[in-house]
Amino acid sequence: MLGLFATLNLGARSLATQQQGSEVAGQNLANVNNPAYSRQRLAISTSLPVPSMIGPQGSGVQSVAIVQLRDALLERQIQSETSVSGSLAAQQSALQNVQTQLGEQINTQNTDANSTVAGQYGLAQGLSDLFDGFQRLSTDPGSPSQRQVLLQGAQGLASQFNQVASRLDGVRTTLNNSIQSDVDQSNSLLTDIAKLNQQIVYSEAGRGGTANDLRDLRQQKIESLSKLVNVTTVSQPNGGLDVSIGGVTLLSGISQTDRLETYDAGGGQMLVRAQTAATPLTLTGGRIEGNINVRDGALATLQASTNQLAAQLITEVNAIHRGGYDLNGGTGLDLFSGTDAASIRVNAALVTDPSRLQMSGVPGAAGNNSVALTLAQLANKKVSTLNDQTFSQKYSATVAQLGQSLSSMNDQVENHSAVSRMLETQRNSISGVSLDEEMTDLVKYQKAFQASARLINVVSEMLETVVNLR
Amino acid sequence: MRVTSNGFSNNLVTQLNQLLERQNRLQTQAATGQKVTLPEDDPAAVRRILDLQAESRTNTQYQGNIARLKESATTTFSALQGFKTISDRAGEIATLADGLKSREELNAYATEVGNLIKQAVQLANTKDRGNFLFGGTRNDGPPYVATSDPDGRVTSVTYQGNTDIAESEIAENVTVGLQSLGANSSGNGPRGVVTDSRSGGDFLNHLISLQSNLLSGNVAAIAATDRPQLARDEENILHHISANGVTQSRLETTRNLAESRGFSLNARVSQEADADLAQTLVQLSQSQTAYQAALQSGARLLGNSLLDYLR
Repeated sequence: MLGLFATLNLGARSLATQQQGSEVAGQNLANVNNPAYSRQRLAISTSLPVPSMIGPQGSGVQSVAIVQLRDALLERQIQSETSVSGSLAAQQSALQNVQTQLGEQINTQNTDANSTVAGQYGLAQGLSDLFDGFQRLSTDPGSPSQRQVLLQGAQGLASQFNQVASRLDGVRTTLNNSIQSDVDQSNSLLTDIAKLNQQIVYSEAGRGGTANDLRDLRQQKIESLSKLVNVTTVSQPNGGLDVSIGGVTLLSGISQTDRLETYDAGGGQMLVRAQTAATPLTLTGGRIEGNINVRDGALATLQASTNQLAAQLITEVNAIHRGGYDLNGGTGLDLFSGTDAASIRVNAALVTDPSRLQMSGVPGAAGNNSVALTLAQLANKKVSTLNDQTFSQKYSATVAQLGQSLSSMNDQVENHSAVSRMLETQRNSISGVSLDEEMTDLVKYQKAFQASARLINVVSEMLETVVNLR
Repeated sequence: MRVTSNGFSNNLVTQLNQLLERQNRLQTQAATGQKVTLPEDDPAAVRRILDLQAESRTNTQYQGNIARLKESATTTFSALQGFKTISDRAGEIATLADGLKSREELNAYATEVGNLIKQAVQLANTKDRGNFLFGGTRNDGPPYVATSDPDGRVTSVTYQGNTDIAESEIAENVTVGLQSLGANSSGNGPRGVVTDSRSGGDFLNHLISLQSNLLSGNVAAIAATDRPQLARDEENILHHISANGVTQSRLETTRNLAESRGFSLNARVSQEADADLAQTLVQLSQSQTAYQAALQSGARLLGNSLLDYLR
């Protein structure tokens, strides 16, 4: 038998336990909107039984631990999927930016009264304008106004090339800047995780149990880091977490062993390596990898294609133009100067004096149009260095290639976000706080608290009865 | 599966976003009438559209070329008709000037022929948009320069043009040279309007010869030489007039072809790019219904919790 005083203690323990239960429910309710939070439960068990004549007798209840409901496997999956989605999202947004900067849109609504073909003014239109200018000049090679029109077309095309080149270069710079800032952010996250490791190890070492809230915070930081760069984590028995990126350990227990840095691998190509290493890290996910991927993939291809297009146009047009004769019998001038999309310009000598356009095949024949005609026919020439495509075809192939990269990236992002959503829903179903549940728990603990208080009341009355026995 | 308060609202937000995105896409399609706008929408279609648009622009330019050539051909035609009128009158004078005519009459004819020569030189120097029509590709100066005696009669003419003509493209890889040369004595290439070695035409010189024979009263030479010469000139001019007609009709045919090609190119662009409005609007109203349903059910469920029932 416990005796009245022991029963009073039983009631007091029960009161404390129920109170702790409602405290945990309160903690859960308070964090219902905290995305990093995993719900907690008070683990309770019966307290040590007391031997009695009729066998061991229960002595009430005690709280054992506050446990966190989380699934480590799921979190690991989420962590690696976060890296993938970080990379995909970065690629999608970078490619969208590239698409915008290229400025090629299909518009079939005809808004220009002078043209039967509508279209946003882009390189496609610019190329047509140049060759149309040659065509018009071929029907009227001596005409000063047609010469002016041609020069305007050529200048329009050249400045269109220049703009596309400088805009694409701008995208490249933006991507490099973003890589730099992501590396800085990764380093600061690594420092934070190292600090949290330290706090977790210290707080769990002394009294046992788990530092739930610190672990929540660390998990959040790990996921933020995963979004930037793919990380591998290994849990240590003391509660610490080792972090490595691309096989290089950056965090070992409570000490940060290395940091990330960007470096110029040549030609302004910013890559990422560990400070102690000379070679770039192998990145397979995360925003940094996504940005590098677009910069050195689709963007580089697009830049190379437009440069190749411009260079080939300059070479082909100049080769024909140089052999022609202007209205005064002069010869040997180039129509375009420069070597690529960024540097292409119309020869200034021609701009100041359109009569120096060399459209005639023989000197002293203003009506000879053989050069203008050959230049006009260049529009339909399949150029071998452009994979046997015409200039327009090469350009539309380039646009389509970018469109293809972006379109397949859109699909990947969509597919992947379905996976991410599913994982997130699964995690939520394990770790998320439900208001209904917590309210029920609160009522449960409240009722138990009231009952325990009643027990104390009864025992107290019994004690009074015993004390007042006469 | 256990559903938590925030899990439910997060899902609702995601679903609403997806529906909104879909509605936005469909709305853009309905408003622009296009299912393809950006390269990402349908890369293969964008490539075809860009190619078709480039082709269409080239086709439009061919039509421009044809219009320009037709304009030149029309101007050439008027000049040729002018030559024909002069040739007719000169032929008439050559027939009228026989031994029965007095010197005064012959002199009067000579004066008329003198005027016809000046008129013919003027016609041979016809300009179209600043370019001399009959000078070959040396068209920046008058092809014919006349030398006159003190009485103002044209005694000789010099051809300053060349025998080269400009070719223009009227369809892909189809070029035509429509210019009429003033003179071609080389025996190959396009025939000359005024002077042509193959047909024996040398209109201006033959007129000058008629003029001098009229002045000298050499009616025998007029009958023996000038008349047959002028007849050859007439034939040569008629040859050019009919050639010009053929050319114009060829241009017209090509223009019609280019026009219908333009229509079919535009139709193909629209096939690739245009949205099926009926389908788009049906899809739009479907997603609107779904959106409304999601909003209504979501709003009803979001507001409910155990809190409403606990006291």
